[in-house]
Amino acid sequence: MNEIKNNSYNQFKKLGYPTKKLENWKFSNSSHLKKYNTIISDSNIDIKEYLKIKNTLCFLNGALIKESLENCDFKNEILISNTIDIKAKDTIKMSENFNNEALFNLGIAKFNEGIFIEFKKGNKDHIQINVINIYDKKSENMFAPTFNIFKLNKKNNVSIFEKDINHGFDSFNLRINKFICDDDSILNHSSIYQDDTQSNLLRYNYYQANTNTIINIDSFNCESSFNKDFIEIDLDKSGAEATVNALNLTKNDEHADNNILINHKSEHCNSSQNVRNILQNKSTSVFNGKVIVFEGAQKTDSNQSNKNLLLSKEATAHSNPQLEIYADDVQCGHGSTTGALDKNSIFYFQSRGINKEDAIQILVKAFAHTVIKTFSDDNIKKNAQAYIDKWMNE
Amino acid sequence: MIDIKNLKVSVEEKEILKGINLEIPEGEVHAIMGRNGSGKSTLANTLAGNEKFEVTDGLIHMNGLDITEMSAENRSLNGIFVCFQYPVAIPGVSMAYFLRAAINAHLENQGKEEMDALEFLNQSKEILKKLNLDDSFLKRSINDGFSGGEKKKSEIFQLLSLNPKFAILDETDSGLDIDALKIVADGVKEFNGKKNSTLIITHYERLLEYINPDVVHIMIDGKIVKSGDMKLARQVEEKGYSWLAK
Repeated sequence: MNEIKNNSYNQFKKLGYPTKKLENWKFSNSSHLKKYNTIISDSNIDIKEYLKIKNTLCFLNGALIKESLENCDFKNEILISNTIDIKAKDTIKMSENFNNEALFNLGIAKFNEGIFIEFKKGNKDHIQINVINIYDKKSENMFAPTFNIFKLNKKNNVSIFEKDINHGFDSFNLRINKFICDDDSILNHSSIYQDDTQSNLLRYNYYQANTNTIINIDSFNCESSFNKDFIEIDLDKSGAEATVNALNLTKNDEHADNNILINHKSEHCNSSQNVRNILQNKSTSVFNGKVIVFEGAQKTDSNQSNKNLLLSKEATAHSNPQLEIYADDVQCGHGSTTGALDKNSIFYFQSRGINKEDAIQILVKAFAHTVIKTFSDDNIKKNAQAYIDKWMNE
Repeated sequence: MIDIKNLKVSVEEKEILKGINLEIPEGEVHAIMGRNGSGKSTLANTLAGNEKFEVTDGLIHMNGLDITEMSAENRSLNGIFVCFQYPVAIPGVSMAYFLRAAINAHLENQGKEEMDALEFLNQSKEILKKLNLDDSFLKRSINDGFSGGEKKKSEIFQLLSLNPKFAILDETDSGLDIDALKIVADGVKEFNGKKNSTLIITHYERLLEYINPDVVHIMIDGKIVKSGDMKLARQVEEKGYSWLAK
């Protein structure tokens, strides 16, 4: 790992902080991230309350709190080791595209803590893992990089629900995850990011899907000053499926950014992307969605949708759905819409006696609900539904 | 009930209604017939309070109250209902959620308690049955993926659920087969049996044969040029509008 870390640091030095000249950073600024350069792993906060939550792995500033494992029914179904100790290069190997990302390399170079969880072979029972990432930011300019790897063996059925809790100062949380999914496995990966410390979150999630693997990714983000997600999925073997559903709520000067790349590398694979942004005030969003259908990946079925609802004239949504197809027997669709609420819809409500403010609330919730209902995890569904009311009325 | 005086309305600075005078007393059914583009739907939208339609002159009174400048929601709360010709589709909002919100807005305005879910469900099921619609209609998103006939029935369903004082049916008969037309006509008759007033806007006299309006008006180029009884509707069906334009 040390060699990899050194190489990554050299790569970061070579690339430098990303600039707007890069396609994936064209509409987002990285210069404000430079000041976050202090890595702290110790903490003063009382974690007892968190340890009481059942079936939940707690991470404090990126490091697993080992005691949290004691309250988990699944503790005998997993093997845990430190990412830093992994020797197998195939296990560590990440996406080539990520290797060209400066901040990904910085994360690999600087992380101190991370776990490798392998789900035991032969277990077909559903395992629900809740992950709470607690950040105790004792000083300003804290940079918290982590690198975790999850390996699902054949026919494992795993749901991972991730939530972040921030304490203290604002920070730059950089999280790198790799998910290796063997044949016939099912992975549901859901995450909620709701932050009132106005921290910055940058995530690189890389998923490898094998024969008949099913991957569902749900993401709900709100109140993050800077939130940039990179998702790359390799559908390596026949029959693999991937679904990405994301909802971002932004206001004030917040920025939400989804960069999704799905590589159809084999035949009979399906993928779907559905990303919705609701923007208030001067907030901004970016959708860079790309599907590549490789030569020989016949019978690919893929669709991609990005819809942006602007609740303010000053809000901006950038949308860039892309398809690259090198096979001839495929079904691929993509679409993008950006606009304000439909005045005719508001009038229809008013014509039935419902006032304009209530009409707007109902229509915004309906827009969000079309993504929320597709979330595979009930936790994220309930949280997102409950949070929208609060967000609209603040 | 409704008293319209010298109503002039423009859309994007083009005058569409050029001085409409119309009085519909309580319990009466009036019909307005006219060609496409004569201003019929402009009248319906203006009465509903759609801000796209600018009243440049004239007054609209309902039961003595001047509603000319009133907002759309307040018109609805005061008892005006329009069955729209092309109701919008709203994905993600179920008919049940929407209609219950509307009913409760009316009840709150009247100082009454909200209608609970069970009462709403029972009332809705009874009305849906009359309209030959399945209960699952309540779970569907408003007008989303509805056929032409379902959209019209959806409007009548809302009409019977909200039970306003004055209903305007904007070409509710167009695009309906004969069975659906009868069901819609029965719905309108039931509504009107409650001493409410109705204005039916249509191209054809076939719906009027079922409902038998008290007065038939002919609108040409933004004005009512002739009023009469059902005989006038039949004459129009037979001879068209040209003889009235002269």
